[in-house]
Amino acid sequence: MSTEEDDGIVYRTQDEVSLLRAALEGETAAWGEMVMRYKDAVFGLCLGFLRNRADAEDIAQDAFVRAYLNLRRYNLERKFSTWVFTIAANLCRNRLRYRRNHPVMEVDYEFEGGADPARMVAREEREVRVREALDGLPYAYRTPLVLRFYNDLSYKEIGDILAIPEGTVKTRIHRGKAMLKELLDKERESA
Amino acid sequence: MNLEDRDPMDELLCETLRQDVASAAGSLQALEERVLERLGDRLPRRGLWGSLRSMAAPTRSGRRAQLVFVGATAAACVALGLFLGGRLPSAQPAEPVLLGGAPAPARSASTPMMKSMTAQAAVGNGVLFILPAPNARVVSLVGSFSEWEPIPLSDDDRDGIWTAEMPLPPGRYEYAFIIDGRWFGQDPSADDYVKSFGEYSSVRYVGGGGDGA
Repeated sequence: MSTEEDDGIVYRTQDEVSLLRAALEGETAAWGEMVMRYKDAVFGLCLGFLRNRADAEDIAQDAFVRAYLNLRRYNLERKFSTWVFTIAANLCRNRLRYRRNHPVMEVDYEFEGGADPARMVAREEREVRVREALDGLPYAYRTPLVLRFYNDLSYKEIGDILAIPEGTVKTRIHRGKAMLKELLDKERESA
Repeated sequence: MNLEDRDPMDELLCETLRQDVASAAGSLQALEERVLERLGDRLPRRGLWGSLRSMAAPTRSGRRAQLVFVGATAAACVALGLFLGGRLPSAQPAEPVLLGGAPAPARSASTPMMKSMTAQAAVGNGVLFILPAPNARVVSLVGSFSEWEPIPLSDDDRDGIWTAEMPLPPGRYEYAFIIDGRWFGQDPSADDYVKSFGEYSSVRYVGGGGDGA
């Protein structure tokens, strides 16, 4: 009889499809391994959308819960990352809509964002500037940038996740970068 | 993406985003444990086909969904009939806003009128969302079916009954009304409610679908 620790080691060496099959059969520890493998990527995406660490953690957690509950809908031939990113992106969009309808709460989030330790521990000034410029970008432009430059996805994958045509993804990345440069230049001039 | 494709701005972006995630490594460490804790012993849900089959089969959950659907439709028809027949006072306050702002704890917070008048009925291929709000100026519907973009409800005859018809395929939908800019997430005739981010939304099952992500 294997211990939980042994199970963990077994899962760590398994490929994704085996893990997903095991998870489908109710082996939640296999799902735990999948969460471990993808949590940084999903969190990065959520942070790109929401620009608030606490919110991003909540949504990342929720995305994995929902993904597991809907695992039977997942087509094993499809790339898992695209599927889980799509769920996370939809949850993030809902969260942003919620914020739009709750302006009072938004002030709180902004305050939280300002005290984000990520900013406090930023090692380089230019990273802080980029971070602030990213905050100033509309999410429609920010998110494709994050998916491209953090999650390292293709234009097609980004389009699938955000439900926009590939051409629009390219345009938004191009324009997003231009806007980012403009914001950074403005900031440099005023400094 | 090829490294040679990247300009200095790309590199800076990559590094910044990596730092953002790396700085959260501590709190992300136990994420899988929190996920598994929330899941408990729950198994993945059936897909849409499985749900449809369960609707057809005489199981408890299928029967419940059928009853809720039929009940909501009947309630909507009766309520609308009563109102149009002039048996309810036309100047009833619209005050679903009494549930707006702070989240209300339970269905019982709504008034009897709201219970009888607020409904979503199946109409042809669409689902009719009905909300009595005589004093409202603007009413819209937001939901998972519209990516939470507002869909205006109309009240052409100015009788205070706001309606919108949505063509919805079978599935589970979360939604809320926005009345003069205020969130109204507890539709008394909803099939279910969910609370996320401190606010309620209503849940509607169309055609027995119950597995929406």
